[in-house]
Amino acid sequence: MKPQVAFFDFTSCEGCQLNKLNFENDLLDILKHVDLVEFREAMDDKADHYDIAFIEGSITSPSCVERIHDIRRRSDILVALGSCAVNGGVNAMKNLHPIDDVRETVYGDDKYLFATLPAMAVSSVVKVDYEVRGCPMTQQDFLKLLIALVLGKQPPKYGSPVCVECKLKENECLYNRGMVCLGPITRGGCDAVCPSFGQFCTGCRGILDNPNIDGMLEVMTSHGISLDEAKKRMLLYNSNEVQL
Amino acid sequence: MECFSLLRSDVPALIDHLGDFGEVIAPHGKGDVSYSFEVVRDSSDVVLDYNRTLLPLKKMFLPPVEKLIGFSLKNESYEQVDVAIAPRVFFGVHSYEMQSILRLDHSMLSGSAESNYFKRRQSSRFVGISFEPDEFHFSESVGVVIEEMEGFDLFLNEVDDDFQLYVLTDNGQEMLNGFDKINLTEPEIVEGRNFKKKIRYHYNRLPRVFQYAYHSDVWADVASRCVGCGACTLTCPTCFCFDVQDHVEVTAEDGMRQRSWDSCMLSTFAEVAGGENFREKTINRTRHRLFRKFKYITDEEGLPWCVGCGRCTAFCPAGISMPDIVNELIQEDEKAQYHRTVRV
Repeated sequence: MKPQVAFFDFTSCEGCQLNKLNFENDLLDILKHVDLVEFREAMDDKADHYDIAFIEGSITSPSCVERIHDIRRRSDILVALGSCAVNGGVNAMKNLHPIDDVRETVYGDDKYLFATLPAMAVSSVVKVDYEVRGCPMTQQDFLKLLIALVLGKQPPKYGSPVCVECKLKENECLYNRGMVCLGPITRGGCDAVCPSFGQFCTGCRGILDNPNIDGMLEVMTSHGISLDEAKKRMLLYNSNEVQL
Repeated sequence: MECFSLLRSDVPALIDHLGDFGEVIAPHGKGDVSYSFEVVRDSSDVVLDYNRTLLPLKKMFLPPVEKLIGFSLKNESYEQVDVAIAPRVFFGVHSYEMQSILRLDHSMLSGSAESNYFKRRQSSRFVGISFEPDEFHFSESVGVVIEEMEGFDLFLNEVDDDFQLYVLTDNGQEMLNGFDKINLTEPEIVEGRNFKKKIRYHYNRLPRVFQYAYHSDVWADVASRCVGCGACTLTCPTCFCFDVQDHVEVTAEDGMRQRSWDSCMLSTFAEVAGGENFREKTINRTRHRLFRKFKYITDEEGLPWCVGCGRCTAFCPAGISMPDIVNELIQEDEKAQYHRTVRV
């Protein structure tokens, strides 16, 4: 029997889910391997049990917590999809401010009508088996994981920085072009897609294990941006991961 | 050894002529301020004055990413990729780059030869060119002068904005047959091309310095600045470590085994099953890199395994300089030696 697969969204832009529908060339091949049983953006059906549940978005409210627990209970494998689900992503920037200020800014006088929590990674609430990083996650990365799971193998792990893939493609370093790039400490696996097209890395795939944060801040400031700006860039996608 | 004069304006004609002996590969401009070895399409695009290419010439013999075998899960079969031996002419190669290829030959071909490297290395011809050292080159300190001609078939030495062309091998002689824009001349020695960066000791004294450098304080200082991106080793012309991974296509039927360059500066490099890591800290890795260049292989072969191209320094985002590290080790060693000496 083919694995029963479902997609769910929490606090996010839903972009990571939506780009599943853009597979076009590969969609029919994918559907040969899996049964899609629940996917709000593509179909109406619902199911009770999932072999693989893909979760997009971060956990930001008490109702999210309840719902993710329910999904986890009914899933064999749970995969966090995209930056928001993996580490909180850009949503986690709100955690840098007092939660009352955040609620007031968003809801004004009605702030007490809406319960809210700090933006959390899915893995802070339930057990996450695998993750696909990036904002948005790349299609290739998702396919590699899906095929590995279908074949019963370990999905690839990415422990080396974006710089590695960038160097292998013989790109001119963006630091030599007067830009400040987070490539040296950002988890690779994206095929260095941004630097290859002249856009500096913003760190969307998360920071590597055991990063040299002080060293990186030194690199960034010595290439012409202020310490404040350097910290902001580092926090953009990684407020939950980096302590500054 | 014959020496001919060649006008700068006639170099494109020479490149076109070399095309008869195989695909010509030469330095081209890349991005805003960088260079790269590419196949020549138009000989006037070739850059003659360049500091260094982003990736070393190694990429032509040991590609950054290479398919080794293709396999089918459905038929349970595999097929090795056949690397064709194609004649190639490498034009405009600096002396340190040639030395790096000779060192790579030793690494890849001694013992049981690496067959893909061996096939790509067959029927290669090399045309060298002199260069003006910039603030990063330090090849003289590791025994490679600008005019070092070992390994080349032809060598272009820049003299007063034009060139002197040295014929070094029978292959080189053959490549000039029928090329009439050269005139026999007396070799001249060019003065004034000085290296700005130097290692303070002669390279044959370095193994002794490194013998006592394992527990040096210098490593911690380097590690505090290193962000672990791996640029130094990925652009190094004598590094050859690689990783091998299998990839399965979305059909879940076919796939391939792929080899790609790896780097001992990455934290995952020495990680093994179970999560144990033999070089877990940056300090272990920075030390290992330098020891691979100046101690481990050097002890066996008697030559530094660094050719002084300056790439690791020029491409380091944190500005960590290899010759500076070596000079710091030398300074520390001198101090230690002073204290070790028994004075009566």
